[in-house]
Amino acid sequence: MKFRCERDVLVEALGTATRAVASRGGALPVLSGVKAELIGNRLVLSGSDLDLTIQVGVEVAGQADGVAVLPARLTADIVRALEPGAVHIEVEGEEGRISSGRSQFAVRLLPADDFPRLAESAADEVTLDAAALAEALRQVVRAASHDDARPILTGVLMAAEGDGLRLVATDSYRLAVRDLPGASVLREGQAVLVPSKALGELGRVLTTGTVTLRLGERDATFVVGDTRLTTRLIEGEFPNYRQLIPSTHPNRLTVGREPLLDALRRVKLLAREATPVRITLKGEGIELTAITQDVGQAHEDLDAKYEGTEMVIAFNPEYLADGVEAVEGDEVTLETVDALKPAVVRSVESQDYLYLLMPVRVS
Amino acid sequence: MRLVIATCSVDYQGRLSAHLPMATRLLLLKADGSISIHADDRAYKPLNWMNPPCRIVEEPGRWVVTSPKGETLTITIDEVHTDVSHHLGVDPGLQKDGVEAHLQELLAADVTYLADGMVLVRREYPTDIGPVDLLCRDGEGAAVAVEIKRVGEIAGVEQLVRYIERLDLDGRLRPVRGIFAAQSVKPQARVLAESRGIACIELDYDLLRKVERAEMRLF
Repeated sequence: MKFRCERDVLVEALGTATRAVASRGGALPVLSGVKAELIGNRLVLSGSDLDLTIQVGVEVAGQADGVAVLPARLTADIVRALEPGAVHIEVEGEEGRISSGRSQFAVRLLPADDFPRLAESAADEVTLDAAALAEALRQVVRAASHDDARPILTGVLMAAEGDGLRLVATDSYRLAVRDLPGASVLREGQAVLVPSKALGELGRVLTTGTVTLRLGERDATFVVGDTRLTTRLIEGEFPNYRQLIPSTHPNRLTVGREPLLDALRRVKLLAREATPVRITLKGEGIELTAITQDVGQAHEDLDAKYEGTEMVIAFNPEYLADGVEAVEGDEVTLETVDALKPAVVRSVESQDYLYLLMPVRVS
Repeated sequence: MRLVIATCSVDYQGRLSAHLPMATRLLLLKADGSISIHADDRAYKPLNWMNPPCRIVEEPGRWVVTSPKGETLTITIDEVHTDVSHHLGVDPGLQKDGVEAHLQELLAADVTYLADGMVLVRREYPTDIGPVDLLCRDGEGAAVAVEIKRVGEIAGVEQLVRYIERLDLDGRLRPVRGIFAAQSVKPQARVLAESRGIACIELDYDLLRKVERAEMRLF
């Protein structure tokens, strides 16, 4: 294999493909590598940790076809460190040679035969608007759990809802639900659980245009331009989230999104060691308070419109800021039942997104 | 596990050539079929090794280890100082913290968490392949073997299956049913457990500790 490619093109392609590379090779050392396959002028780079595989295609000046597995992190670091301009990569025997200008590197290759083969999904493909999906993922993925001890909660539920698609994620403290009306991707009643890590990576590569989705029995493949992302689906039953959403909310706060986020950023400086931020809800506005024993306290008043019973409700400031940041528009609403029941954060302008957040018990 | 301390030299032929000159080293042969050669430094890291499956041919003064890809590790032995073998059995796995032991202690203190009417017979009930975490009797007097894990994986289910097989040999206990208890049970482990008639129970550590969370959960 031998080809020439512009450094910046190669850096970007390696940066994307290596995001799926296993951090530790584990049982399959070849997974610490990125597979490079050159046919003509088309180079396809693949990284995989078996659960997630990312393939990126780039146009290069090909000189000799071939396949090789290069050590992923090392190759990415080398190419990134080179001077701007053309990078030459050539495979000879057990070595991959990377050169540019007066810099030359030789790296030991990994056995290409050991690299797992990715089965092509035979499922029908559907097309989604990339920008809309990117926005939905930005809003929902944040609520998924990172705790591998509860694998179901590390996924995002993609379910058919009416004539569209619904995305749902929860880490048991908060729940994010986003509807994409008109995005008929799944059959009626069909639902799949996609790892949030994969969707986070998908969100990074989504820009404009369309994304093609193929849903297999055990995996899902998303194709965006020259990037193909294949992820294993999570097996298991997602919690019955519908019953968690209160049907009525007697109390409703309407507040500017940016002023609330700014106030939260300031006040949470004094919300240390899992200290919650308390919000005093009253007719003429709200007051945010954080008190950390032996450290200090912060207070901030904020203009807002509140209809309902005066109360003090407390939240994990990170989770609250996550929800407020995720909604679209200039104003958000915070709907509550009481200080111990889940609150709902929504946009004033759109009902397509809902962020349900459990309060923190305070004395 | 076989431990050999020997004065030896080692030659590797494969993707490259490597030579370890004559010196006293530890040769570690594990039951999984691997071999590794260690010096008295580098912590856990061997000087050279070959992963299973590999074939080891021992001749007087010379061992030849061959991998399926044709790589060879030739160990030329000048003198064997020690050659001992121990059967280690099935390893219980790495315990990252004390949660597993604490879960066992908490459950032993109140086995009705597992089912109403359950009573504890003994913690660490011995079998000839190792102790099962809890042995209980259910409300109807039937023996119940309980294996406790922080994260319930297939290996834990298989471990419990082996314990049940051993306990079932005891006429005073037979038939023994199993409960696989973990803070979370992986879906594959749940499928395997259910196929073997073993019940899975997810444990709430905070509930067992009677810790009231300030941060409440949706479910």
